[in-house]
Amino acid sequence: MRWRYILFFVGILSIFLGLTMIIPFIYSIICHDNSARPILLSASITEISGLLLFFGFRFKNNDYISPREGIAIVALGWIATGFFSALPFYFGNAFNTFTDSFFESVSGITTTGASVMTNIEGVTPSLLLWRSFIQWLGGMGIIVLSLAILPLLGVGGMQMYKAEVPSPIPDKLKPRIRDTAMILWKVYAGITIAEILFLLIGGMSIYDAMNHAFTTMPTGGFSTKNLSVAHYDSVYIETVITIFMILAGINFSLHYQMLLGKPLAFWKDSECRFFLCFLLIVTLIITINIFPVYDSIGKAFRYASFQVVSIVTTTGYGSADYELWPGMSQMILLLCMFIGASAGSTGGGMKCLRVMIYFKYCYKELISLIHPRAVRQIKVNSQPVSSDVVSSVLGFLGLFVGLFAISSVLLASMGVDIVTSFSAVASAIGNIGPGLGTVGPTENYAGLPAMGKWLLVWCMLLGRLEIYTIIILLIPEFWRK
Amino acid sequence: MKVVIIGAGEVGFHIASRIAYEQKEVVVIDTDENALRRVSESIDVQAIKGSGSSPSVLKQAGIENADILLAVTDSDQINIVSCLFADYISPKTLKLVRLRDSDFIAYNDALQTFSPHIHTIINPDVEAVKTIERFMKVPGAVDVGDLADGKIQLIGIRLEKESPLLGLKLMDMPRMQNAGHFLIAAVIRKEMLIIPRGNDVLAEDDLVYIVCESQHLTQTMNMLKVDITPVKRVMLVGGGRVGFRMAMSLEKQSIKTKIIEKNPEICQKLAEKLDKVMVLQGDGTDQSLLIEENIQDMDMVITLTGDEEINILSSLLAKRMGARSNITRISKFSYFPLVEAIGIDHIVSPRLSAVNTILQHIREGNVLSAVSIKSEQAEVLEANVPENSKVCGKMLQKIGFPKGALVVGIVRKNNAFIPTGSSLIQINDRIIVFATREVIPKIEKLLTVQLKYH
Repeated sequence: MRWRYILFFVGILSIFLGLTMIIPFIYSIICHDNSARPILLSASITEISGLLLFFGFRFKNNDYISPREGIAIVALGWIATGFFSALPFYFGNAFNTFTDSFFESVSGITTTGASVMTNIEGVTPSLLLWRSFIQWLGGMGIIVLSLAILPLLGVGGMQMYKAEVPSPIPDKLKPRIRDTAMILWKVYAGITIAEILFLLIGGMSIYDAMNHAFTTMPTGGFSTKNLSVAHYDSVYIETVITIFMILAGINFSLHYQMLLGKPLAFWKDSECRFFLCFLLIVTLIITINIFPVYDSIGKAFRYASFQVVSIVTTTGYGSADYELWPGMSQMILLLCMFIGASAGSTGGGMKCLRVMIYFKYCYKELISLIHPRAVRQIKVNSQPVSSDVVSSVLGFLGLFVGLFAISSVLLASMGVDIVTSFSAVASAIGNIGPGLGTVGPTENYAGLPAMGKWLLVWCMLLGRLEIYTIIILLIPEFWRK
Repeated sequence: MKVVIIGAGEVGFHIASRIAYEQKEVVVIDTDENALRRVSESIDVQAIKGSGSSPSVLKQAGIENADILLAVTDSDQINIVSCLFADYISPKTLKLVRLRDSDFIAYNDALQTFSPHIHTIINPDVEAVKTIERFMKVPGAVDVGDLADGKIQLIGIRLEKESPLLGLKLMDMPRMQNAGHFLIAAVIRKEMLIIPRGNDVLAEDDLVYIVCESQHLTQTMNMLKVDITPVKRVMLVGGGRVGFRMAMSLEKQSIKTKIIEKNPEICQKLAEKLDKVMVLQGDGTDQSLLIEENIQDMDMVITLTGDEEINILSSLLAKRMGARSNITRISKFSYFPLVEAIGIDHIVSPRLSAVNTILQHIREGNVLSAVSIKSEQAEVLEANVPENSKVCGKMLQKIGFPKGALVVGIVRKNNAFIPTGSSLIQINDRIIVFATREVIPKIEKLLTVQLKYH
């Protein structure tokens, strides 16, 4: 483990992050909202730390980066990004404590969307723009973005890419990792611009449209309104956001194929098919279940579809208070938090692909009881899935559930009630946002104890980097020479 | 008429003997002296030792004035290279090639259009699968063949005690149901082939060859009490090339299929490529495995391993344990007579299928296809009626067909039908003639224009 390399790359990431703070800074100057000074201060601190690391640990950048170092760079890079992104909130007095700022910042970059802001509309617009913007950066991944635009990260890029995008079945769109990263970001940015345009047509202001697009596409869920999307109470806006949440929850390499002129790419991919069918079935069940609450099938469908898509894609917007719904619907939504979106999308959770492989594995085991000599091969998209991949999926699901269990016990030990600790941890580890109980869709995370917030920060990072990259930091063997 | 055959294996040997029987000039090339000795001792052909891929050997065999080249060695590569040189030395020679590797299938057109300009590519595995599929259409039949592009079916059935045909005189046939749509073409009684006449009576245990219009197949078979219940569950034994191809085909037809294969690595590959077919690792002769997989509920057991003794054993075992019907792959032609005696329902032989296909293709010109039945004692020929033929415009009963030949079908435009004595033959008709080997030359003469090998 060569610390020099790791800190050098973290330095590059910080310099880059500091530069992006120019965006809220300029916006702040334009609208005179008194946040220009704290943002400039944060940018300077970030930039100076970055430059210090960069020049302090500079080396000839053509060395091999080991997988282990790649993991360390990604993990520390994300923690550093969380720290520096919190500075504008802290200096801008959006929160009283650094804990809250840090929580909000990590919730942003991990695209969770859990907020500790009690009055969102009271915060200056430039800080809210920053809050949405870091979510957008975190959505496709800061490493992937850096790979795409910084030639410096060229060597060892593959190691870092794998640590940040640990899809069970990796698909490299182009032979070179840099081109792959570039394509992903272009597609991502393109769809974001499309959403901004659609939201503008629906009558949103350009500022709101940008903020919401910045938080829809990474399946983040930060809104600039206290009531989230319910604020607009518009079927058109909800429909647009629902469609773009679904797009964000689909594997981005499928979007790329689609743009290359394969219109059936979505339907041909079995994971995507599973994802879409799952959304449809859950929406229909909940529509029927909540029909008595709204007394209109149209309304019930409208609210059910939005909430289901929002939870399953791990976005976390709200257009209705699902805590008023029957227990069955709430329970289904809670379980949906675990499934998550497709692999290779910006969504979190366990990922449909893993769930599918898991079900296929279970089915295979059952079949082998009936036909002991059967030789079966688990396949996805008619491609055989190797047993290594299957066991890594099983390991992942085991760790996911295990860490969820431990964390919710820890949160409950801090005096939080059962429903809240259960759903808050599920929501954090799945990068969703709202939970149930005191962290429900109309409330927020401000009331949790400080220790609890740090625990959830940990869960959010675990979830965003898909467990292994973060949990491995706790293994002593990882740090041994 | 001169034919050069490269490869004196089972396929080469049998084609050589078939063609030589019809007084054609045949040269056989092989590197194996023993194989050559077998050929030259039993058939009247010229045998040359050497590799067919060598231009000098080809010249020695007289490829320049050969009409047809058949490359049927075990090696695809040698077959292709032989054709390549034959194409350089003698471009006008017609080239027929056996290719087994399925990788080549996608390039068949290219091989035909560009050098080596192969005329016909025969894949014995594909032919075997087609044969099995025909058997599966009529599980109760002993033999099933396609005529006139599948518009007419040739079906061999064994007469059992309850058969309505039993004790019937052929002249009484027209009074039966569906009578216009089928015809009895041949009877095999005690290994002897008879082309029946009006007074012949059908007896138990006769193997009767029936020609039937395809659209009336179901009614006719029902009437004759032949089992045509569709096959729904199949057990395949052996996952080699033919087994895999068969499994793919069954999967496409949504027939519930299980495949037993001994080799775990092959099992793994099969499992990767097949989606719905259940792959079982084990031995086709293992009783406990067959019980475990409900062999008694199988409509058909198809044994396709490379080892014919194992195939015979597992077919018999499966039948004994209650499987409805079986198809067994047997390569050695010498085993064929034995097969029926021991209770095997159908046999399939990729080599025999290849021989039949090759014969069909080399009988180009007026003869469009040829199906041979019952250890090659008879052939069904499909021929165009040439304009200058003396049979044109005549009623069938007025044409003096030789004894041992029977017109069993007429294809007019896109329709095929079973003729009666009063049917007229018209210009541009295609007639289907069932004939014993001895009378084929007479039929050639009758149709005026000689049956040509192209």
